[in-house]
Amino acid sequence: MSEPTLAAVDGVTRTYGGVPVLDGVSLSVEAGVTAVVGPNGSGKSTLLGILSGAVEPTAGSVRYPEGGPRAGSEKHVGYLPQRVPFRDGFTARETLGFYAALAGGDPDAALAGVGLSDAAGKRVGALSGGMRRLLGIAQATLGDPDVVVLDEPTSGLDPEMRERAFRAAARAGDDAAVVVSSHDLDLVDAHADAVVVLRRGRVAAAGARGRLLDDHGVDGVAELYRAVAGGAESPASPAESESADDGEGGRDDGEVHVTGVSER
Amino acid sequence: MNRRLGGVWVVFRRELATVRRTPGYAVLAVGLLVVLGGLVAVGGGGATGFVPAVVDLLLPTEVLVPLLAVVLGYRALFADAASGELGVIRTCPVSAAGYVVGVLLARTAALVVLVGGPFALVGAYVWLTAAPDTGIFATHSGVDSPVLFLRFLALVVPFGAAYLSLSAAVSTIATTRRSAFALGLLALLAGVLGGDLAVLRSLSAGASPSGIAGSLALSPNGAFRGLVFEHVIGVSFAPEGGFVDTGRAVASLVGWTVVGGVAAVAAIALGPRVDVAVEHLRARLDR
Repeated sequence: MSEPTLAAVDGVTRTYGGVPVLDGVSLSVEAGVTAVVGPNGSGKSTLLGILSGAVEPTAGSVRYPEGGPRAGSEKHVGYLPQRVPFRDGFTARETLGFYAALAGGDPDAALAGVGLSDAAGKRVGALSGGMRRLLGIAQATLGDPDVVVLDEPTSGLDPEMRERAFRAAARAGDDAAVVVSSHDLDLVDAHADAVVVLRRGRVAAAGARGRLLDDHGVDGVAELYRAVAGGAESPASPAESESADDGEGGRDDGEVHVTGVSER
Repeated sequence: MNRRLGGVWVVFRRELATVRRTPGYAVLAVGLLVVLGGLVAVGGGGATGFVPAVVDLLLPTEVLVPLLAVVLGYRALFADAASGELGVIRTCPVSAAGYVVGVLLARTAALVVLVGGPFALVGAYVWLTAAPDTGIFATHSGVDSPVLFLRFLALVVPFGAAYLSLSAAVSTIATTRRSAFALGLLALLAGVLGGDLAVLRSLSAGASPSGIAGSLALSPNGAFRGLVFEHVIGVSFAPEGGFVDTGRAVASLVGWTVVGGVAAVAAIALGPRVDVAVEHLRARLDR
């Protein structure tokens, strides 16, 4: 990747109850779609939480050259947590209207961008899981942030909705750095510009997707995953991937393969 | 409107809409109206005048208003934190202080309607039904007057606001909805009983009774009760006052509200860092 760095993670560690969930993670995030993959408990949600500013690292730091979360009067980082958190009693348009009033942007255009124009007047509580996630993606991209962090935007969705969610993420990646965690390796293959493989809280591999595949002599991200995260749990089914990602990590005492220009 | 105030206004409108769409709050207000109406009807104060009605209502008000304020406040800040939406809101250009102020102002506005409304209706009922004539606006002490009831009403709102702010603040450290409500109730019990028990204890320990007027004002309930005696009930029969130090009592009600707000801002702004500090402490102890 030759784009400028929009977020630089430097030696980030996060422990919960003394157990390290992330351990010395360093990487750079550039414009385009960066997919973070790894088994359950590998620290994906924690890493994305730290990138969004929702989680504070116990060690290390994240640098945002264009400005980070809560910097200045602009929205620099957009965030969709693993569990879409909007209030059930508000309509999709009201929900985006609230965020647009805070961060700028056009709620109707954002709804149209994810194909939810027809559901604008529906209450969030009445939206399907897939529609809620699309609404979450629309919210995260409102205000044109430099970095968009999407935690498992496809989990629990049917194949068509997954494709829509990833396409929406990829569109946002035209102008911003979109960091997306996913267990859906086929969609990662189709849409990601860069891949970060986490294994037990550490970066097992990171870099431009094409170059990583060449370096490891594999044909796709699924094979790459098996090669560098092999021995760990295999990617979960969509239903399993709904489960929380944090708090199960342990130290990786084995050798860690680290590669890729985007890793620092 | 500048950006900072704009953020407060946006959060305020959303929070007010949330309260408006929660039918349970309206039910609570109706319940409060029924209880207050029943008390002035059964107690006889309502048929006599505003001051007797206030006497009938004072003790129940000291429990019911804090209770309703806690119900309004315990989820005010907890809801977004528990759902994870706070993490999303914090990516937007609104400060922790702006967010807390917006939420608390909206909830306080709801409190004015949900608590002030039933009290105002009870006052109207007294005006229409009490005998002798209570339509006189008192110009001197010793005369019952709607103005005295308005004073009572004006004291009820900051009294409730103090509990609203405190319950919202303690809910920021809760991890579940149930624990948030339990913490709110704890704040309620501490406020309703704690201040009076502390005064009684200091008296039994040999403190001078002349200091009661000052120490009573320190708790929200003591401050409220003292102000009602000083400026509503006492006007009719003890115009020389001396029930409470007015300045200290007002400062106490405002102070508890501000303390709650500041604590809530600190919890939201610094909570993740405190979490990390605990992790560091744990790591140091494990060594």
